Amino acid sequence: MSDIPLRVRRRVWFRQFLLQACWNYEGMQNVGFAYSILPALRDRYEGRPEEFSRALKRHLEFFNTHPSMATVILGATIRLEERVAEGKVDPRAVGTFKVGLMGSLGAIGDSYFWGALKPMASVAGAILAFVHPLLGIAMLLFLYNSSHLVLRYRGFAAGMGGEESAVRFLKEAGFTGKTEDRKMIAAILGGAYGGVVASHTAYLFGGAWMELGVFLIAALAVHLYTVFFRKAVSPSEVLVLLLLIGTLILWQ
Amino acid sequence: MAWSFLLAAAWGGICYLDRTAAFQVMLHRPLVVAPVMGAIFGNFAAGAQVGAVLELLYIVRLPVGASIPPDDTGAAMFGGAAAAAASSSIGLDSGNFAAILLLSVLCAELGKYADRLVRRVNGRIAHLTVERLEKGDSLAVENGLMAGLVLFGVFGVALTLLFSGLGVFLARFLLPRFGPESHFQFGILLPAIPLLGAAAVFSCSRTDRTSPVFYLTMGCVFSAIFFFRWLV
Repeated sequence: MSDIPLRVRRRVWFRQFLLQACWNYEGMQNVGFAYSILPALRDRYEGRPEEFSRALKRHLEFFNTHPSMATVILGATIRLEERVAEGKVDPRAVGTFKVGLMGSLGAIGDSYFWGALKPMASVAGAILAFVHPLLGIAMLLFLYNSSHLVLRYRGFAAGMGGEESAVRFLKEAGFTGKTEDRKMIAAILGGAYGGVVASHTAYLFGGAWMELGVFLIAALAVHLYTVFFRKAVSPSEVLVLLLLIGTLILWQ
Repeated sequence: MAWSFLLAAAWGGICYLDRTAAFQVMLHRPLVVAPVMGAIFGNFAAGAQVGAVLELLYIVRLPVGASIPPDDTGAAMFGGAAAAAASSSIGLDSGNFAAILLLSVLCAELGKYADRLVRRVNGRIAHLTVERLEKGDSLAVENGLMAGLVLFGVFGVALTLLFSGLGVFLARFLLPRFGPESHFQFGILLPAIPLLGAAAVFSCSRTDRTSPVFYLTMGCVFSAIFFFRWLV
């Protein structure tokens, strides 16, 4: 078990929310990581200013991972620093450990949070906003944060249990399965959103055959946009194209 | 109006901090930002209308590594303010709605460049932090982080004032210059925009399993609404 007092752990936990406050192209989250771990370092190296300064400099080296997954690394690094302070581990192991984990956790986090959870929460919110905007906002915030805050907390607790506990947490969390599930829900909700938009457009044109035609055009448009995205065309470029078309219509 | 801009600036500062620097609890999403901006400038529902569409448009651009996606928070600041200022007692007409959504792309791109600039300045702050730590300043990291945080916040406030000002200007002085016929013609483009959002969600969630599910659901929902309308 860790000897770090509860009040210090709490301070580290609150500070990790500012991990990206000084995000920069050279060190990326380095200042944020050093700021988060600072209370734990002050506690471990109390009365040893030179060692404290060396430990802090270690954490100002390049660091970048998904912000919500960083808590796992943060917790486990604190445990490692405890052992460094006791002279049981070589200080270079800290950097090696962080570099070893940040890439894979970044990939897992990007895929789960940005690629699956955020689209799912966003589209659920957007659909409910058709009913009432406040319902949409509540759904978006609830769906995203119920997973995001819990994983931040559990990740930190697992990291504080040591490297093995962190690895066990990552295995048991089942991110691959969760990502697949949330992508499936996002696809269903995205389809429903597309169906509502197509139906609303078709209603404006009127007539059963006309409605079917509008649906086919809408499905084709979605497919075309998807092909554009796969060819690395950004949504901004598509919107600028539509803006130009609109300007031409007005011109005529 | 001055109070509206003051409130918008405070709200914008919070949202821009949430976007990158602090918490990331999704307060910066267009679905949240635009209705609040709408409420500040006088019409919550019109802001919500714009926010629900903007929410999905840029979701396909992920903030992975050093890449910075378009600033959809800025687009929502502009969209929410413009929608509230352009709406009448019967709501937002389709021409204005389409124009606001399409013009918001300029704010999204401008915001992206501003974000890059902030991160470059942060690089200088990070260098100074290391230098000061080497000189024995024990508060260097805390001061460096606070400087970065303040920089993100100040840029957020400035961008919010700029985008909401542009939105109100557009809605009050530019859009009314076009007649009802022009509004109707521009409104034809409107359905193409939310479909871009649906495609963005589809692109994010695309796997072998999800592709048929997406189109099947789209067809089912369309048919269900069609059938319901036929019954009524």
